[in-house]
Amino acid sequence: MTVTAPEAAPYFDITDPDFSITSAAVHEARERSWYARTNYGLAVLRYEEVSRLLKHPKLRQGSAAWPAHNGVTEGPFAKWWASWVLNKEGEEHHRLRRLMNPAFSHKLIAGLVPRFQALAAELINGFREPGRCEFVSEFAEPYAARVIAIMLGMPESEWRVIARESATIGLAMGVTIRQDLPKIEAALAALYAYADELIAERRREERDDFVSALVRAQRDSDRLSADELRDGLVLLIFGGFDTTRNQLGLAMQSFVRHPDQWRLLAERPELGGRAVEEVMRVNPTTRWVTREAHEDFTYQGLDIPAGTTVHLFTESAGTDPRVFGDGAFDITAERKPHFGFGGGAHHCLGHFVARSDMSEALPLLARRMRDPRIEDGAEWLPDSGNTGPIRLPIAFTPAT
Amino acid sequence: MKVIVDMAKCQDHGQCAIAAPEVFEMNEEGRLVYDGEPGEERRLEVEEAADVCPVQAILIKD
Repeated sequence: MTVTAPEAAPYFDITDPDFSITSAAVHEARERSWYARTNYGLAVLRYEEVSRLLKHPKLRQGSAAWPAHNGVTEGPFAKWWASWVLNKEGEEHHRLRRLMNPAFSHKLIAGLVPRFQALAAELINGFREPGRCEFVSEFAEPYAARVIAIMLGMPESEWRVIARESATIGLAMGVTIRQDLPKIEAALAALYAYADELIAERRREERDDFVSALVRAQRDSDRLSADELRDGLVLLIFGGFDTTRNQLGLAMQSFVRHPDQWRLLAERPELGGRAVEEVMRVNPTTRWVTREAHEDFTYQGLDIPAGTTVHLFTESAGTDPRVFGDGAFDITAERKPHFGFGGGAHHCLGHFVARSDMSEALPLLARRMRDPRIEDGAEWLPDSGNTGPIRLPIAFTPAT
Repeated sequence: MKVIVDMAKCQDHGQCAIAAPEVFEMNEEGRLVYDGEPGEERRLEVEEAADVCPVQAILIKD
């Protein structure tokens, strides 16, 4: 085993606006060392090490302290953040996770596939111009928001509320969280009002749906408090939106770079599932997964003290030549799993629905939007922890 | 009831250990260990574990 001495490790300032997490500099560093030092702690760059550390018993989920690190220690946002199942550990985490899991079972989601297909077709049919669209506002955003409405049994017509308020709350993931806080808390209040209304409706009239099941669990047992119920629903609304919207935009970016694969997907829609996995391997919206050491430990000769923040770089792992060779983008390839949904106890709760809705959307887009090109005017989030397009104008040859 | 985990597929996420802690457990190295012949009274939670497994590696044989 080669042990890299600490002084030989590469260093990245990952908050520098010019830092790109998918840059050649990161890939070159990966060839020299399995980890880099950063201004937060450590970055893990290779597949095997990311895979092991993602689920390592000495590491816990690392974003619990994010608001506090940025000076946000009290008020409704700090309280809501602390309530997230993602930011809980141990028995409390497991109890909430067990309660939420049934909403996202793959059996339940399989029944929703026709609705995903109809939604994708409706949105494509509704493009304002033939041969051109602004992909984020005309497809990715309404698609992601309406899938959430379908999941929670909310009226799909109200998707703009989900989209608008969730996007505002998303500002909390950025380094400007503190100055954006008044806006973020107003958006949070709007989603709380929404969740309260949903809960009240289900209390009046139960349905055979997930929200009713949670309402029953809250009423009939001590497994879920009233606050946990509304906090959890707001998290589900928020958590599924940004990620799916961004990942769909990134999928378009990848396929514009690989027109032969786009044509193949149009011809073979059954490759939709593989296409989602391949996009998430090389172009994941969640560019890093955060962990924090809860006690001192040594991994591959490297001492990792308690409190160290560890960022697992998902794209760097997904393109690691040790595992993927030259890793050419290929939607027919059998691959080892990517880390775009994180992993371990906090593995993405909504991954079956994200996989299912995107694997329906992409082949339909491929069939209807031939030869896509990204036009001038695209705007992107920084190539950092979470990324994706803000605006993505695409020209294409329309087809039926 | 017989439970088989496809260890070639298993990625040690541990979701099964959250759903059915009496049957599935993550050891000190973070690797899965499990009871391949749990009692019938565990059926509901084992089904839940199979259902939530992110890589669908758990098979229940009657």
